[in-house]
Parts: sequence; structure tokens; C-alpha cells
Amino acid sequence: MARSMRKTTLREIKHTFGRYMAILAIIALGVGFFSGVRDTTPAMVNMMNGFLEENNFYDFRIISTSGWNDKSVEEFAEQPDVLMAEGSISFDASYYVPSRSIDEAVLKTHMLPEKINTIKVVEGTLPENSEECAVEQGRGYKIGEKIRINESNDSEVLEMVKSREFTVTALVISPYYLNREKGTTTIGNGTVDGFVYMPKSAFDTEYFSEIFVCLDNDYVMYSEEYNDFIDDRTEKWEKLSEETALKHHNKLLADAEAELADAKEEYESGIKEGQEELDKAAAELADGKKTLEDTKKQLDAAKADIDMLKAYIGANSPDVQKAETDYSNGVAEYEKGVADLEKGEKEYKDALAEFEEKSAEGGQKIADAEKEIAKLKARSVYVLNRNTNIGYALFENDSEIVEQVAKVFPVFFILVAALVCMTTMSRMVEEQRTQIGILKAIGYSETSIMGKFMFYSCSAALIGCVLGFAVGTKLFPAIIWVTYKIMYIPIDIPYYFDKNLALAAAAVSMLCSAGTTWIACRVELKETAASLMRPKAPKAGKRVLPEYIPFLWNRLKFLHKVSIRNIFRYKGRFFMMVTGIGGCMALLLTGFGLKDSIAGFADTQYGEIQTADAAVSFLDEKYEKINELLTEKTNGFAMMNHGSWDLLYEDRVKSIDLEAVEDFGNISEFMVFRDLEKQSISTPDLNEAIISHSISDRYNVEIGDEITLRDADMRELHLTVTGVFENHTYNLIYTTLETLEKQLNEDITPNKTFINFKTGETHGKQAADINKNSGVISVEQFAKTRDRMAEMMSSLDYIVILVIACAAALAFIVIYNLTNINITERQREIAAIKVLGFFRRETSAYVLRENIALTFMGILAGIAIGIPLHSFVMSQIKVDIVDFSTVILPQSYIYSAVLTLIFNFVVNLFMEIKLERINMAESLKSVD
Amino acid sequence: MSAFVEFKNVKKTYKMGETEIHALNGADFEINKGEFCVIVGASGAGKTTILNILGGMDTLTSGNVILDGTDISKMSKKQLTSYRRYDIGFVFQFYNLVQNLTALENVELAAQICREPLNAADVLKQVGLEERMKNFPAQLSGGEQQRVAIARALAKNPKLLLCDEPTGALDYNTGKAVLKLLQDTCRKTGMTVVVITHNSAISAMADRIITVKNGKVSDMRLNDNIADAADIEW
Repeated sequence: MARSMRKTTLREIKHTFGRYMAILAIIALGVGFFSGVRDTTPAMVNMMNGFLEENNFYDFRIISTSGWNDKSVEEFAEQPDVLMAEGSISFDASYYVPSRSIDEAVLKTHMLPEKINTIKVVEGTLPENSEECAVEQGRGYKIGEKIRINESNDSEVLEMVKSREFTVTALVISPYYLNREKGTTTIGNGTVDGFVYMPKSAFDTEYFSEIFVCLDNDYVMYSEEYNDFIDDRTEKWEKLSEETALKHHNKLLADAEAELADAKEEYESGIKEGQEELDKAAAELADGKKTLEDTKKQLDAAKADIDMLKAYIGANSPDVQKAETDYSNGVAEYEKGVADLEKGEKEYKDALAEFEEKSAEGGQKIADAEKEIAKLKARSVYVLNRNTNIGYALFENDSEIVEQVAKVFPVFFILVAALVCMTTMSRMVEEQRTQIGILKAIGYSETSIMGKFMFYSCSAALIGCVLGFAVGTKLFPAIIWVTYKIMYIPIDIPYYFDKNLALAAAAVSMLCSAGTTWIACRVELKETAASLMRPKAPKAGKRVLPEYIPFLWNRLKFLHKVSIRNIFRYKGRFFMMVTGIGGCMALLLTGFGLKDSIAGFADTQYGEIQTADAAVSFLDEKYEKINELLTEKTNGFAMMNHGSWDLLYEDRVKSIDLEAVEDFGNISEFMVFRDLEKQSISTPDLNEAIISHSISDRYNVEIGDEITLRDADMRELHLTVTGVFENHTYNLIYTTLETLEKQLNEDITPNKTFINFKTGETHGKQAADINKNSGVISVEQFAKTRDRMAEMMSSLDYIVILVIACAAALAFIVIYNLTNINITERQREIAAIKVLGFFRRETSAYVLRENIALTFMGILAGIAIGIPLHSFVMSQIKVDIVDFSTVILPQSYIYSAVLTLIFNFVVNLFMEIKLERINMAESLKSVD
Repeated sequence: MSAFVEFKNVKKTYKMGETEIHALNGADFEINKGEFCVIVGASGAGKTTILNILGGMDTLTSGNVILDGTDISKMSKKQLTSYRRYDIGFVFQFYNLVQNLTALENVELAAQICREPLNAADVLKQVGLEERMKNFPAQLSGGEQQRVAIARALAKNPKLLLCDEPTGALDYNTGKAVLKLLQDTCRKTGMTVVVITHNSAISAMADRIITVKNGKVSDMRLNDNIADAADIEW
């Protein structure tokens, strides 16, 4: 660029700084929003990925029901694709805090890891002995506090740990639990409330329940590369795990079988030996008895002899006396013998009892060993990947929501920004027409003339782009993460620079500036120098459409006529203004609409559609009992069989929930089936089904279609769709229980029911009252679900507020810029009007009336663009279990319109000052 | 009889940073009612400043300007607007017609803000544009556009018709025709007309000739030998 050319360019910037700033600001805003929203998901994923990498998050979690030993761990660690492997123990147990009498909480109990899934201490030091533990931060536990394992836990669980009470030494965060939600459990109230880590020494077990494996890879979480990497290895690892488990298992099995054999042998030999001894003892006893009997006979005979001798020789004969002494000795001996025999008999009985006991014991041992073997034989091995980790999976879904908003919205921003750049640059080129002509006449090439404008717009765009990118990528992820943090672990989000995004932002801003400048310059530059230096003939006035309706036209005030003519006079400006304002209005409307749609779905779902108070899941074998229980405890219920089925569509499957209702008669008290127009729809008959809107929408199922459902046992259901009902959470299909029974050809018992609580007691109490009965699996209170859903979606709220704020800023700049252009374009006309003696207010009315009219048209156009834009954005936001309703509430239209009008008003205030400053001497100047 | 327009020692000083520029440095002149006056001077002599001040578009630094007994030198911005609105008719070098209004509507635009306007159609008839009333400016020739501009100024029924180089953008013959129209208007309606020009040839048709030089009135004389507009040549 020649020196003087550079000077004129720089001076141009200085003199038209407002315009320069407008381009800069609009690009900054467009790029800032674009890059900020686009950067958020990668930044969040990057942050989490960093955290997981830092703590060596696992790739495979391998579980064997027969457990693992050190050898298995070693074997896994030796695999070529393995970075490290570590055995671990985990189980659910309920704990309480004795010092604070805190209600029991179900905590996942883990072995403190050394290598994989390492935990990060927020406060305190890691536990070191068997009476210390680390717990989740932010759950109200304090360092030094003692937690106690509940004695009501299963004995198997209690046997796992050496102590009963543990001192909290650290508050930690764990990569294994990214989300507040930690999944379900079979104990306590059914949900895992938190986690606790204890050192290895605290566990009283030889085996590991699971082995974590880190594979050698650097792939980013959720990335396709990572998923492919894992998919490729899953089969191999399943095989390997099976084999490794088998080795350990075979050893265990062999041990158990040897033990069994020993036990059997011992048992049998014991029995034999015992029996022999017993037999011998019995024989001895019998002998003794016989001897005694003989002795008795002899004694009896001796007694008879003695009596006889007494009679003959008298009692005093020494012979008799001797005989008597002998006899009494004999009797004493005999009596002793009897006593001995009795003792012997008792001993024998004892021995017999002992023998019987022992043999029973031996039998038990055998039975135990056999049971153990049976258990071992029924063993299974699971190779679980990261997707089975609830925090990991939830984070993917949640972070994707932002990404989905990021798909379309920013594009619209950029479009509006481009439009404004285009208008501004066209205006500038037009203003500089004569100068272009002069430069051309002097001999500057078209390129260097265009260079001036290019430099002007591109430098503004570049500065704006850098500013917008820096602020956007810094601010957006930070603000959005703040809301997510409530649900996730509290770590700080690092700045994430995405090179491709930066390049895209630069490209987009260059396209907006250079592209539009080129378009604007092209036409003018084509003209010859001479024609450029001649003033451009002012655009001819002409009659506009309304004039041909004299009925209307003649009633208008003169100045109104002028305004109408002016509006239609500059078609380009009219178009720009209406699209510009319309675009902003559309963005605002979409922003508010997003809020309406997102905020409202939980209320609609649980306030208008699923009107039951709660759902109870129970074991189907307890159906009769539950039926009785609910009849007594609730204010009505509707039984159904709940099952998870796969919907077959286009050779793919989608897991859905099938509810087979026993009796649709009173279902309306629990669930309102209505279509999107709020018209109630009829319930299904035999072999019919009604499906939720999400299924119809996403899998292209229409009324009259036949759908096929398949369960885990590959049994199929064929149902005719007779209706599509409004439903916002989960993908549901309702049919009759009879259909299920007939098609599966077996008796089906309900396992779920909707209930309405009685009045009086709080719902929470009533729920707990029902929950404690055996056979009840869970009681889901819908009011709580509704709150939870609303909380979950509140993270989206922030995004929406950001969108609205940005749309508002954009709207302001657009209106300012367009109005500014409008006025500079008409300076002479305005000056002349002032010379004619128009008062200040008349002058501004003369100009701004048009502006207001255009704003109103813009608002109408904005509504016309906004409604489809909103539905488009909504259609892009897909959360599997949530089907948002696409609504824009009436007040949102009002808010958007009022905001647009306020911006217009504020801009008009600025413009009045500007009008005031227009020098009347302008009108004396020649056209330049 | 006191003069209709009086300039008394009018000074106008522009400050350009440190330096002061005296656009008018004590200008004195007067114009009587019904006169056709030409103010003539070279570029930069101060003509436009006189025009701006007399037209109520600019304020003066010191001195007095009196129109029909009213001192406008002390007027507020708003009063000046009223002054422009009711007392002054302005004809610009480049016409400054509103492009999307027809000839008639352009005249109406001015007329509708005045207290006692003349009938727009009548005025247009008077300037010879009876046939072109419904045309837009772009459909009119330069001379015709300037006639519309004159009609617009006249329709306001002002006390003073101020014309800034009315022939500046026109060719010779058209320029002469416009000058004739102005002269005829002056003669027929008794309107006081002030024409500002650098073209001293035009001064031949004036009743009063005021020459401006270096911010002062160097010469003011009544024309003894008033030429008809059609007869002057340059």
C-alpha cells in the first residue's frame, strides 16, 4: 500500500471511528458467541479428560463373581496393550455417623487405589490404617468424624471389613464418581448416597472383586477413536478375562473339590470308625449285662442255699455266717456291676449322640462344599467399559446439550453480523464514490483501492475476532461450567484453546468482512473514473403501493405519506433494516422460547400428564400381597407390567419402556393420555399400543404403523399404533396386559403401579411406609422427580440467559448501526429540512418515524423467522430421556418485542443527538 | 423609512484551535423592503457567512442583525428555527428537493409548516410548472428543479427570499430564466429577494449591489441602471 494510501486509510478509521467500532463490535460479538458456545463442550470434555488422565481413569473394569487373586492382576498387567492393572474391592454398605445421629446412608465402599482411579484429596490426608477412611467431599462429613458401618448390613458385607468404625481422615473427589448421582443399589432406600475409600489393610478378604485395567492409549474421552479403540479390544478382553478367571476359578474349584473329597472321606471313615466303636461298646455292654445276669442268678441261688442252710443248721453256724458274708459281698459286687453297666449304657448313648451330631456336621460340610462348587460353577465374568460408569456417561450427555445448542445458534449470529458488515461497507463505499473515482483517475489499481476498504473492514474484523474469541472462549465455558459444577465434581475449568475453532472463527470473520467488502466494492469499482466522479443521481422517487389505495392514502397526514414513501424508497435499506431487526428479534424469541420449552417440560409432565403421586415397583411374585397393601394404604392405584424392550426400526434397535396396563378403566386418574393438541386419545385395545411423542418423532413411527418389540430373550411383540401421546420423559409405549399375555402366551403379573397417596400424612412418610414392605423395590415420588428434572435442566437455563444476553447485545448493535447508516445517508435531506424551519421534534419525527415503522416490521419479520428457528433449535437439542415441548409462551413474544423496542428507543435517543448535530450548512454544499 | 434588513457591525469569528478566523469583521449594510439585492464577492470573502447568519442558520459573534424590526442576533436556537420557519424562504444552489416527493409535495412540505402559506399549486403555476406538478424531482430538469425550490420558498410566504448561488448548478440559459423568475417575483409580489453570488455580472439586474471583501462590505450602492434579467450576459 502506498504511503499516502495508508495515511488516508488510517485517517478514515480515525474519522469514522464509530463505524469502525460497529464492525469491530459486531464481529467480536458474533465470533465471541460462536466460539464461546462451540468451545464450551470441548473445554468441558478437555477438563474432565485431564482430570481422568491425571487420576488414571480405567478403561476396563473386569468383574468375576468368583473373584480375582494377585496372579490374575499380574496376568492382566502383562498384556502388551496394558499400561497398568490393579485389583480392587467394592461393595454397597450402609453407614451412619454416631456422633451426629445422621440417618443411614448407603455408601459405595472401595479399596483405596494406588494406581487406577486414584482419588484427589480436597482436605486432609489419605487413610493409612484399617480404622481410617476417606469420604466424598461436600456431603457434610468432617475430618476427624467417625462413621460406623451398620450392623444390619448383610453378614457377607460385614465380614469384608475388619473394623466397625472408621475415622474420616480425608475429604476427596474421585474420577469414578464425576456426578452427584451415583446410581442405584439393592439396599437402603435404593440409591447410592456417596462413597467411602479404605486402605487395603481394612479389608478382611484374600480376593479382589474387580480388576481395573488402563490400556495404553492417549485418546480423548468420548472420542470416536477412543470408542473404536475400546470396541476393537472388547472381544479380546472378554476372552482373556474368561480364561484368566477360569484359572483362578479352576484352582478355587479344585480346592473346593479336594475339600469336598476330604470331607467326604473323613465323614465316611469317621462314620465307619464310630460305628465300629459303637458296635463294640454295645457288644461289651451286652456281655456285661449277661455276666451280671449270671452273677444275679448265682447270687439268687446262693441266697436260696443260705436260706436253706439257715433252716437246717441255724443262723448262727459259722458256715452260714461265712456264706452270708460271701453273699453280701457278692451282692455288693453285683450292684457295683449294675452301676457300671448303667454308666456304660449312658456312655454309649452319649457316644451315639456325638456320632450322630458329627455325622450331621460332616454332611453339612459336604453340602456347603457342594454349594460352593455350584456357585463357582455358575460364575460369570463381566468386562465393563467406561460407559457403564454413571458419572462418565452422564457427563457426555450433559456436555452434549451445549454442543447441540452450539450447532445452529451461532450460525445465525454470524449471519446477522455479516449482514451488518455488508450494509456498513456498502454504505462506506458509496460515500467514497468520488474518492474512488479520483484514485482511479490518478492511476491506482482497482486492487489497491479495494485494499483500502479491505484493510478497513478486515482490520476491524480481525481485532473484533481476536477480542471476541478470547472473551468468548474464556467466558462461556467458565459460566456454563459454574452451573454444571453443582451436579459434578468441583474442579476448575482450564482455558481450552482449540486451534481449529480459532481458524474457523478467523475464517468466519474474514468472510464477514472481506467477503462483504468485496461484494460492496465490486460494483462501484467497475464503473469508470469519470462516472464515479460525477455525482450519482439521487434515487428517483416513485409512487409506492399504498398510494394506489386512495381510500387509505388520502387519509394519511402529509408527513406520514413522506415516511411511507421513504420506507419503500430504499429497498436495500428496507431489507437490511427489517432483516437485521428481524434477525435480532428472532434470536431473542428463540432464546426466550428455549427457556419456555426447557423450563416447562417437567411441570407439564408431572403437573398435567403423569398426574399420579408416585410409582411403585415391586417383585411380581408379591403381587397379591402388594395389591392388599396398596388397597389399604393408598387412594387408588393402577397396576401394570413394566418391561424394557427393544423397538426395532430401520434394522436398528432402540430401548424403550413398555407398560402393559392391567386395566385402562381408571388410568386417567394417574396418567392423562392426550395428543400434542391437548385432545385426549383413546386407550389401546388388544394388540394395539399407544406411543409417546418422542418415539413417533425420533423413530418415525406413525399412527396405523405396526411396531415390533423384542426383549432380551428375543421374544417379539407386534403392536398396531393407535395413538401418539404427549410425554416428555422417557420413551414409553403403553399396551394392555392382555396383549402381552396373549402374544407371549404366558401369564404376566404386574410389577409396577401408579398410586395416589391418601390425604393427611406427608407423601414422603407414606412413600417410606410403602417402601419398607418386603417385595417393594422402589417408590418413586413424582414431585421429587419433577424437582430433580428441573434442577437438571437449570444448567440449560444459564445457556439460555447467555443466548438472550448475546442476542440483546447483537440487536442493539444492529439497530444502532442501521439507524446510523440511515441518518448519515440522508444528512443533506435532513439539513435541508432543518433549514426549512422544522423544529427539533419535527425533524426527529421525520426521520425516526421511519425507524420505528421499520422496527415494527422487523419485529413481525422476527416472529416469522423466530418460530421456525426455535423449532429448529429445539429439534437439534436431543436428550434421550427427555422430549422437550416446543413452546413459546405469549409473554416471550412480548419480552422480545419490548426489548427490541427498548433498544430502538435508546438508539433513537442517541440519534436525536446526532440529528441535532447535523450542520445546516450541509445543505449548501455540493453533492459529493 | 428605516431599512427592512440591517447588518450592524456584524462580526463572526471561528476558532480553529489556537488561531481565530474572522469570517466577518464588522459588516454593515441594509436592504429595503421589496428590493432585489445581490451580494457579490469572491470565494472566502464572507458571503456564505452573511447568508448563514441572515438565514438564521448560524449565530454571530457580535453586532446586530435586524429583519423587519426584529433583532435576530440575540435569538435562541428555537427562536431561530421559528425565524427560519416563518420569515425566510431559502433557495439552494443544489435545490435540495426531497427526492421522493413530487414537485407539488415538495412545495407542500414547506407550506404545511407555515402560518399563512400560499396555495402550493398556485405557486407552482406562478413559476411555470403547472404541467409538472405531479413529477418527482428526478423527472425534472435542473432548471425545473430550481423552480420547484423557488416555489417551495415562496409558498412559505416569507418576509425574505434568500438565494444561494441559484444559478450555480445550471447552464447559462436556464440560469438566466431562473434569475428572471426571481426578478419577476420581486417585481410582482414585492418580495424582498437577496441573491448571493460570486458572479458579478448578475449584479446588473439588482436594485442594490453589496460587494463583500475580506469579511467587510467594501461597497454598497443602488443600481442606477437596472437591467432586465433576460438582458444580462456573462
